[in-house]
Amino acid sequence: MFFELLPLNFKPETDIMRIMRKITAFLVLLVFCCSCPAFGKVYIDIDSPAFQKFAAAIPDFKNIGSNEDTENLSARFSDNLTEMLKITGFFRIIDKNAFLEDQSKAGIAAGSIDFHDWSSIGAEFLVKGGFQCNGKDLTAEFRLFDVVEGKLVTAKKYWGTREEIKIMVLKFASEILLALTGERGVFETKIAFIGKKGKTSDIYIIDFDGSRLVRVTRNSSITLLPHWSQDGKKLSFTSYMRGNPDLYFIDLSTGKTKRIANFKGLNLSGPWSPDGSKILLTLSKDGNEEIYVMDIEKRKLRRLTYDPAIDVSPTWSPDGKKIAFVSGRSGSPQVFIMNSDGSNVRRLTYEGRYNTSPCWSPNGKRIAYEGMANGHFQIFSIDEAGGNFLQLTFEKGGCEYPSWSPDGRYLAFSSRKNGKIRICIINSNGLNLRTLHEETGMDAICPSWSPRFNFY
Amino acid sequence: MKRNIKIIGMLILVLSFSFIFMSGCAKEQVVKDEALVTEEGKAVDTATETEEREALLKEEEEARAALKERELVMQEAAAFEDIRFDFDKYDLKPEAREILREHADWLLKHTEFEVIIEGHCDERGSGEYNLALGERRAEASSDYLVTLGVDNGRLTTISYGEELPLDPSHNEDAWAKNRRDHFVVVTEKK
Repeated sequence: MFFELLPLNFKPETDIMRIMRKITAFLVLLVFCCSCPAFGKVYIDIDSPAFQKFAAAIPDFKNIGSNEDTENLSARFSDNLTEMLKITGFFRIIDKNAFLEDQSKAGIAAGSIDFHDWSSIGAEFLVKGGFQCNGKDLTAEFRLFDVVEGKLVTAKKYWGTREEIKIMVLKFASEILLALTGERGVFETKIAFIGKKGKTSDIYIIDFDGSRLVRVTRNSSITLLPHWSQDGKKLSFTSYMRGNPDLYFIDLSTGKTKRIANFKGLNLSGPWSPDGSKILLTLSKDGNEEIYVMDIEKRKLRRLTYDPAIDVSPTWSPDGKKIAFVSGRSGSPQVFIMNSDGSNVRRLTYEGRYNTSPCWSPNGKRIAYEGMANGHFQIFSIDEAGGNFLQLTFEKGGCEYPSWSPDGRYLAFSSRKNGKIRICIINSNGLNLRTLHEETGMDAICPSWSPRFNFY
Repeated sequence: MKRNIKIIGMLILVLSFSFIFMSGCAKEQVVKDEALVTEEGKAVDTATETEEREALLKEEEEARAALKERELVMQEAAAFEDIRFDFDKYDLKPEAREILREHADWLLKHTEFEVIIEGHCDERGSGEYNLALGERRAEASSDYLVTLGVDNGRLTTISYGEELPLDPSHNEDAWAKNRRDHFVVVTEKK
């Protein structure tokens, strides 16, 4: 459970807070300093070609409590935050060795900082923080300063346990991104994927940075196509656990699995609608693979495609008004677009003879897909009108299953290297490819990026 | 012949025993007669038992032959040859049709069997599309077997897409093997 109270003045000992801490024994966040309205002002358009990385300094956090810092939390706060911000690709973090400030004298509030110490080493932004620990409990304050203007940009205070240090860092990294770019970034997201070991496969989840691997299913069967519900509480998937490829939902908090559709033939899981009320499916119950939309509450099905060829792999446009999908109707698999009621079907991809797995970007501008190029599958993107065709990956072993991050700035996909398939991430412009998860004895495929929500 | 020798042998054995018995208690005539009767009766019993055993043996032999034939049928059932497909195709090639005709002949002869037709793909292309393609491949076999006279009710299709490759290697040879319909012959539908 997690509470966010906005906006409130910093009153750490209000009754509400005490009760919450007692009831949840978990992380509680509260804005404690609303003196400077950070929201609304976007510093720099990071999508602009002229964008230069933010130069930021993150000195070690100050122990402002009376207990000794036995676990070197001081450095862990700054190091973790440095790591998080680096992952975005939008920050240049200044080396601690270059710092001029006498940290034993300087404080963490605006009045006790000489911003010249920071501007003179090239920092545009400064993150300062303090913490206190008491037994298992950990309290931390984070402050982001605009060095050039010598002003506080945003500040937060978090209550939690020592184990939650990373969550506090993630939360504040998210605030930094929001303040500087107008969007929260992907810090509070996860990626579900399929881990394949021999003949069985299961769903696993990792954080956006590849950490904290959790195994979700143990079905001793084939498990496929995980898709997040909009609230991030459930996953839909297809599994052969009862023989036929049926559709299931799993509740991530309870682990309870429920069979949702078990028609004859394929019951393939697809994405949840932007409003969370519907889910796209591929069913072959009528003797031919067709795309259906199901009202989750009423379990009502509506068939959207009517073509004797294979129709499969639907994806919603972010406004829910259109659906891109794959069809073999033109002789080979190609991406098509239709209205969400199945009308107005038109072909989107013409380049290449095998294009599948479309994924519509959350900002609506582009559709990513996998296509065959020189005998290998690579990730491409194209705009809705079929223009601005772009090849994003050029990996020898091939890349498949693109999935956008909720801010549309990254794509997760699976890529084969040295005979093993791993989960990778790339910026939407094709730069900065990196491996997010690889594991001995397991192929990691079919990533599905979660929506942004409060996981913690 | 064998039986006679056995009986004679037994009689000799019995007689020699009775001789010893007689010489031991010559006065007890009644006992001797009874003993003789008993011995004769025993001999007859032995003959019947042997006949029964023979019949049993014959039955057993027949059962064994039937079992052997059944085993052979089961072996045939287990050895249903896969059919192969071209990349991204689900139409039946002439050699596939030939194999399916053999399967149909066998199924028409052995009506107690049913078939699960598994459609498989190679690893290339999206898993989702391959599930659909695998289903098309399984359906293609099923449809053809029906046109050859096999009752539709005996055929079940399932697609495993690219999930269960026969050969997990990543080359043309493996892919060719993996693009297949596999036939699981069962005595009752699973």
